[in-house]
Amino acid sequence: MFVLLAVGGGLGSAWYMIEAGSRLSTRSSGPWTTWSAAGRPDADPYTRAHTVRNGLLPLASTLEITYQAKADSRGGRLHSGCEYTIVMDNLGGTWWSLAAFDGQGGLIANAAERYAFNSDNVMREPDGRAIIALARDARPGNWLPISGSRVNLVLTVQDPAWAAAVYEGGAKSLPAIQRLVCR
Amino acid sequence: MPRLPKWLKEVGWRAAAGALLLGGIIHILATMAVPIVSSGHAFARLRDSLPLNQMVLLPAPAPGKQPLPFLPPDALYAMCRYDISVDLLLVNAPMAQAGWTLSLHTPQGDNFYVMPAQESRRGTVSLTLVPSAERLGEFAATPRRISAQETQVASPSWQGLVVVRAPLKGLAWRAETEAALRRASCTPVKRS
Repeated sequence: MFVLLAVGGGLGSAWYMIEAGSRLSTRSSGPWTTWSAAGRPDADPYTRAHTVRNGLLPLASTLEITYQAKADSRGGRLHSGCEYTIVMDNLGGTWWSLAAFDGQGGLIANAAERYAFNSDNVMREPDGRAIIALARDARPGNWLPISGSRVNLVLTVQDPAWAAAVYEGGAKSLPAIQRLVCR
Repeated sequence: MPRLPKWLKEVGWRAAAGALLLGGIIHILATMAVPIVSSGHAFARLRDSLPLNQMVLLPAPAPGKQPLPFLPPDALYAMCRYDISVDLLLVNAPMAQAGWTLSLHTPQGDNFYVMPAQESRRGTVSLTLVPSAERLGEFAATPRRISAQETQVASPSWQGLVVVRAPLKGLAWRAETEAALRRASCTPVKRS
């Protein structure tokens, strides 16, 4: 019992810290979470293990920062049975990219062959905002198709000042993921 | 106050402290071991598809044909798997638009150098990858410079990856982006 508890507790807690992260290695803003030291040669052991175990190749967070969201802003798991909208209006003039993946980080097949939008190719409103619709069926404007049971969103922001602020523990306001309707 | 189960009461404080200590040691060992024993890291996934010291333009990311998980799909990638244990490596990369990046990674995924395209720095970036002083040994000669303008970057590992990322503005720009990315190159350079 003694050894079982020790081994189980040690391995279980390591797995949790490597996969889910904690305040030691991640920063959160609403539904978005980032591994703030990802890619850095001086990254903490949890971030290094997370990067290697998941086959990731992040740019150092001295230049850009990558957020991942598995839930909407109300905490519900992102799912292709629902429709969501994201308003990109607080990222300034930085280069950004928003992509949709399945639960394992694979691209979601769709007839439109559309997997992401970025600050260069997104259609904007007259006031400069970009409204992105995530739905299974086609929507007018910036439609990002989703399907399958689980959806992960990845938001990449290329801005050294932003990345440095997040690394130092500062909070940044990120776009809300608003659930519109579920079927 | 909730009552503790009988079996828990029978566990002495020494056993509990021992379990906590052993659990902590296993936690640390497991965390440190993952980067060493994991076979699914990015370098291992890409190794077979990238010839040594050659820049390869990868096909555009598509479902089931992604080089790596969670890699931004709205970009084209050129990658070069390098080994500088014999020769140095001259890297040329176009920095055509905002969002373009040139990055260097160790096999463990550490991004030890990154250069983004900037308004003031468009055109082709050129650098030579050399072993770090630790790799060469303290008394080894510094690798020669090819020219006074040459930038040398010290790699903390003999092997690694050079990645040039070119964001796609849209399908209409794909051929143009691809043509620009094809100018990226990796060339072995003899040590003097």
